[in-house]
Amino acid sequence: MATDLRISNVSKIYPGCIANDNVSLQFKSGKIYALLGENGAGKSTLVKILSGVVSPDNGEVFLNEKNLKLSSPLDAKKNKIGMVFQHFNLFETLSVFENLSIDATEDNKSLRVRINEILKKYNFSIDLDVPVLNLSAGQKQKVEIIRCLLRSPKVLIMDEPTSVLTEQETEELFISLKKFCDEGILIIYITHKLKEVLSLCDEVAVMRKGKVVSVSQTQNERVETLANKMVGQKLAKIKKKINISKNKDEIFKVKHLNFYSDDPFETNLVNLNFSVKKGECLGIAGISGNGQNELFQILSGEIITPDTSIIFRNKEIAKLNPKQRREYLMAFSPEDRISQAAVPELKIYENVALNNFKSSNFFEKGLVNEKKIKEHSKKILSDFSVNTDNVELKSQFLSGGNLQKLILGRELITAPELLICYNPTWGLDVGAINYIHETLIKINNQEKSTILISTDTEELLKLSDRIAVIYKGKLSKIMPSEEVTPEKLGVLMGGGSID
Amino acid sequence: MALYFFTPFIAIILTILGGGIIFYILGFNPIEALKFYFLTPISNLYGLSELLLKATPLCLIAIGLSFCFKSNNWNIGAEGQLTFGAIVGGGVALLFYNQEGFYILPLIIIAGAIGGMIFALIPAILKTYFNTNEILVSLMLVYVSKLLLDYLVVGPWSNPEGFNFPETRQFSDSSRMPLLFEGLRIHTGIFLALAAVMLSWFVLYKTYLGFQIKVSGLSLKTAKYAGFKGKTMILVVFMISGACAGLAGVGEITGPIGQLHRMISPDYGFTAIIVAFLGRLNPFGIIFASLVVALTYLGAETAQIFLQIPKYTGQVFQGMILFFLLASDYLLFFKVKILSLKKNELRH
Repeated sequence: MATDLRISNVSKIYPGCIANDNVSLQFKSGKIYALLGENGAGKSTLVKILSGVVSPDNGEVFLNEKNLKLSSPLDAKKNKIGMVFQHFNLFETLSVFENLSIDATEDNKSLRVRINEILKKYNFSIDLDVPVLNLSAGQKQKVEIIRCLLRSPKVLIMDEPTSVLTEQETEELFISLKKFCDEGILIIYITHKLKEVLSLCDEVAVMRKGKVVSVSQTQNERVETLANKMVGQKLAKIKKKINISKNKDEIFKVKHLNFYSDDPFETNLVNLNFSVKKGECLGIAGISGNGQNELFQILSGEIITPDTSIIFRNKEIAKLNPKQRREYLMAFSPEDRISQAAVPELKIYENVALNNFKSSNFFEKGLVNEKKIKEHSKKILSDFSVNTDNVELKSQFLSGGNLQKLILGRELITAPELLICYNPTWGLDVGAINYIHETLIKINNQEKSTILISTDTEELLKLSDRIAVIYKGKLSKIMPSEEVTPEKLGVLMGGGSID
Repeated sequence: MALYFFTPFIAIILTILGGGIIFYILGFNPIEALKFYFLTPISNLYGLSELLLKATPLCLIAIGLSFCFKSNNWNIGAEGQLTFGAIVGGGVALLFYNQEGFYILPLIIIAGAIGGMIFALIPAILKTYFNTNEILVSLMLVYVSKLLLDYLVVGPWSNPEGFNFPETRQFSDSSRMPLLFEGLRIHTGIFLALAAVMLSWFVLYKTYLGFQIKVSGLSLKTAKYAGFKGKTMILVVFMISGACAGLAGVGEITGPIGQLHRMISPDYGFTAIIVAFLGRLNPFGIIFASLVVALTYLGAETAQIFLQIPKYTGQVFQGMILFFLLASDYLLFFKVKILSLKKNELRH
């Protein structure tokens, strides 16, 4: 039976921002729809309305001309709307089967039979009795999808599904989605990755600032046209930068980096060795959870490992803490903006004071020099075009992009010789991503070095001079980036090998 | 933000209401009983002086604890630090039991602070270097110091002319906190508490140490990332906390008590935890909170006299304050919704 989902004049207003402004959209089964937009464009709110997490202030949702009252996620399930969120809702220590049986309404025996049918039908290979923590991200996502399929959904909503997948897993996902679509499930695919829209979807709706700005057939679109619609302005294309000469001095050298942890949620690192030259960007690719967290913390000095040698500008720094490493002109931008790089409850200038480098005099004789910190913060806000000049503002009111600019600004204003960043553009919109990429290229051009740990292959290929892949705590061979293709990276990231 | 400082008031109101209900169930006129509890004790000068007397150690300890709690260190053993401070300070006082001199009291005070500090360092060192849980260690050390005090007052330090009562000699006049007013028990120890308030405000909001404490309390990950010396900070906040508790202990034995015996503190060290949270870990909030909680001590005593109910109702009230405070903090941002679920949806 054909499914017809209609959103009619839906509005949702949060204090100080209109998340959805009179949104009307129509979806019919047999097609894959993309919902495209920057962060804060209103995609998530719309999806939350469809999945019953949020109630709209105005407007209605119709499924096959039936007016849906979606006041809880349970209502969405009842109405056969399935949702796979970007962050998996699975119990890591329970088995796959236990996870699937939690919200099932049948006995375990028939459930197992039905799961096995689904596995067979879509060619999924998942062991139902292993704990979820042993699964790869792609497999976890499949478990989430199975959970939806068990309820024979009419609508399946996928929220940024590829952000943690390898190239191969992404391809597999696309094949499955096309299959679902052929079977009459209406698929709504939420993303900000333009290429995926073009390769997977039939129709694309672009949202900007809470409004639907365009609905079109993907065959009539190109990456550039979609990007322009999404951002609402012409994007300056970043030039792939010129590789710098190879005979530069090594500024940073890591030898025998080993890390062993008793915590099963941490990854052990096995004998990493690498070096970075002056003005070079070393990219470290990998799917998250393969040791990047641990690596970043060891490089920044948050974790001190015995027997590791880290030479920076001819000095041994392996035993130094982050503050001391900063004094040697290193800078760090962690992945977690909200609970590590900055504290949302603190004011902007207080967050700036976290980088208390030696010449800053932020804290003279143990006392807070508020005036100095604020002056310095103002400079960062204007130099790195953060969209506020109020240093007293609590950081929680900054958007992700602006917070990241603030953090990068804080780290870069000391003109460090080496910046180590981990997923610097994670979850940001195109405008902010471009800004940050430009900044990272600029510091390389100023003969400063960077180590870019990222799960975004496109970003890595764009910015790195050399790339290595981290997989299960081991580092691959380091390759010049012109020899690397997305496919090659995908193979390495998935644990394969290339020659 | 405004709500954050408002919830303590909600908690206090709910506590009073809850107390009224309890009195009603016990068969008293709740209004009358609450009046005996909260108004009678402070209706005269003596009562007010007693209120300040009880608020002093509570305020001092809570100020110290706020350093720990703000930085995510859960020092539960202030009672032990108080006791140990009193033992060390009391030891010095006994050394000078038959002497007079202006220098004696300052010596006792310093000794008491150092005593509390040393005792607080035990859980801190164990935490930083051996990864133990400071909650357990600091709590268990309370009983260690109490038993030590017990041993001292019945054994080596007991008053040779005291007919084997478990108490030491009376301290000499030079070992006593000067009284502020003739006939009232309120003593100069209150200035120690006020000084601690001012000093802690300065340290918490104006110094690098305070900044580190603030950041560590909000996010330990950030503190680590910024490269704060986590271990040093843990030791310092425990030392501050212990010193304050030790001072409170010294204030008690050199103030109203005048000697060492088994019952030098009606669990001030534990009650101060409530004070610290009721005061929102804010130095000035703590002054207010210490007065409120001190009143529950006084009210319990009056209630015992006039209503013949045990003075342990004071602890009931203190418990209710903490309970309602935590509950209103937790539930304030919750929305109540009645859901009806079909049976089969509840099955799993």
